[in-house]
Amino acid sequence: MAETATAAEYFGVLMPQILLLIFALLCPALDLWLKMRRGIAYWVIIGLTIVGVMEILALIPETQNLVPFLFWEQPPETSIFAVNAFSMVFTVVFVFVGALVAFVSPDYIKRERNHGEYYALLLIAVTGMSFVATAGDLIVIFLGLEIAGISSYALTGFQKSVKRSTEAAMKYFIVGGFSSAISLFGMSLLYGAGGTTNLTELGAMGAEYGPIVLLGIAMLIIGLGFKIAAVPFHMWAPDVYEGAPTSITALLAAASKKMGIAALFKIFIVALLAYKAQWDLAIGIIAILTMTVGNLVAIQQNSVKRMLAYSSIAQAGYILIALPVWAVYDPSSPELVRISEYAVAGGILHVITHAAMKSGAFFVILALTVRGFGENLKDFDGLSKRAPFLALAMAIFVLSLAGIPPLAGFYSKFVLFSAAIFGSSEPGGASWLVWLAIAGILNSALSLFYYARIIKSMYIHNPQSQDRIKVPPLIQAAIVIAMIVTVFIGLYPEPFLEGALEAARALNGLLPIG
Amino acid sequence: MIPMIDWLIFSSLLMAVGAYGVLTARNGILVLMSIEVMLNAANVSLVTFSAYSTELHGYPDAMGQIFALASMTVAAAEVAIGLAIFLVLYKRHDSIDVTKINILRW
Repeated sequence: MAETATAAEYFGVLMPQILLLIFALLCPALDLWLKMRRGIAYWVIIGLTIVGVMEILALIPETQNLVPFLFWEQPPETSIFAVNAFSMVFTVVFVFVGALVAFVSPDYIKRERNHGEYYALLLIAVTGMSFVATAGDLIVIFLGLEIAGISSYALTGFQKSVKRSTEAAMKYFIVGGFSSAISLFGMSLLYGAGGTTNLTELGAMGAEYGPIVLLGIAMLIIGLGFKIAAVPFHMWAPDVYEGAPTSITALLAAASKKMGIAALFKIFIVALLAYKAQWDLAIGIIAILTMTVGNLVAIQQNSVKRMLAYSSIAQAGYILIALPVWAVYDPSSPELVRISEYAVAGGILHVITHAAMKSGAFFVILALTVRGFGENLKDFDGLSKRAPFLALAMAIFVLSLAGIPPLAGFYSKFVLFSAAIFGSSEPGGASWLVWLAIAGILNSALSLFYYARIIKSMYIHNPQSQDRIKVPPLIQAAIVIAMIVTVFIGLYPEPFLEGALEAARALNGLLPIG
Repeated sequence: MIPMIDWLIFSSLLMAVGAYGVLTARNGILVLMSIEVMLNAANVSLVTFSAYSTELHGYPDAMGQIFALASMTVAAAEVAIGLAIFLVLYKRHDSIDVTKINILRW
């Protein structure tokens, strides 16, 4: 039995979350006493940047000794936290999206009241998400999901005077509560079979608890499937994404969904290791259904916001490919272990690239909304003449979402699909995995159809008027940052793939040995 | 002592009742109550597995009860935010009938 961690060690490894909470709790005070409006956004950006820099320093081997307190020496069997490269990469993604949302918010919500609460809830949501990524225990995963969930219900309904926003909050609340209750029941069944809530110890549980764990797996697929909006549990997502304030839509699509993915990776890969032959086919089928339905329905949409909502359902389908391919994992064959790591790395890389390109695309819509435009496709007509920068940014984001070569989305999809092909051709792998790659490639072609509609409308159609559209500088900054990340990952993917592989190895490191 | 399976059947029935309520209730408050019933069904099952862990695994384990306490706290927060959302909803839409509120649809 290892020694238990000291209080100082807990404070050290939880420093990012503690800092985020301190910054969050001071937001309402800044609003109430100092009457700050724009200032709170800068405050939030400072807090998120500190945490993000801390985690990035910890990820780069040369600078790790600058943040020694973040390293966690506890063995995973005795610890409720698993602070490693996996948690760091995911925290960086959540913090990055949170900071971009803070950039665009002051201009977007300037007519609303309660700015302090808005930013505080934003930071608390990011804290909850990073807790899910850091969890080594079912209790921490559940609490993290709920912290993030409850704050995002409130954020979705932030525009109290807008009917759409309150309706979206109601739908999100009902679906969120329903899915949490179902996942909690699934977790309780895993706890009953394994006799522990620690993920690593659950992974060591034998395969003799068939029916009860199978019921638990079904419940967890339903519960977490609602969280990541996988088909057939996706009906809520387009409504909520369309009704929510656009800044929060970006948070939901780019960060909240990734939190569900992190929970799915942790529970299915680590805790349900012995049952991987039972869940791999089910998740593979859900992945194919998710990308196909998402893309098919997106084609018929006329509202760009709703189209992007369906496209983000489809993107979750691509990320789900990582799980069944990971299931070829077999500790006795180094080649299969490498493929499983490569698959999860592909999933994580797609989480990173999707966070940048999807939030960027929503920010372009937000920039137009701030100037009094609608969200329909015809509002994008001739955008290249009225706002060349916005049109160029939108074109880059949607081309990257479709997976066109020099951009980020191509590279992460390439890693995911090639992992599926490796997994099917390697002896000891599963030959049906190749269908995941085929479905993914066909779907990428299908998705190009509706992405091209947006580009056609921006570059070929005639504008309704010739007035130039001026974009507020902070929103412009957020779009530029998302654009730089999208292009940069496409041109220099190696460091990001290396980081994702490191995270995948850290996740495999949580598995029980023997 | 009551056999463990009885508790598990009770918790599954509670879960089914709650899920039925969420899917069929029209009144928002009823939906909220059904979600609470579902969360409590999961709590019953957690506490059951914890209480019978000596018979199941050979060692006493309190994690399930801690989990149930944590989830009760979460449930309380969820009710608070849910009631607030339905209050705003009633002000804007003059109704909390969840089937009548559907501006957002394709």
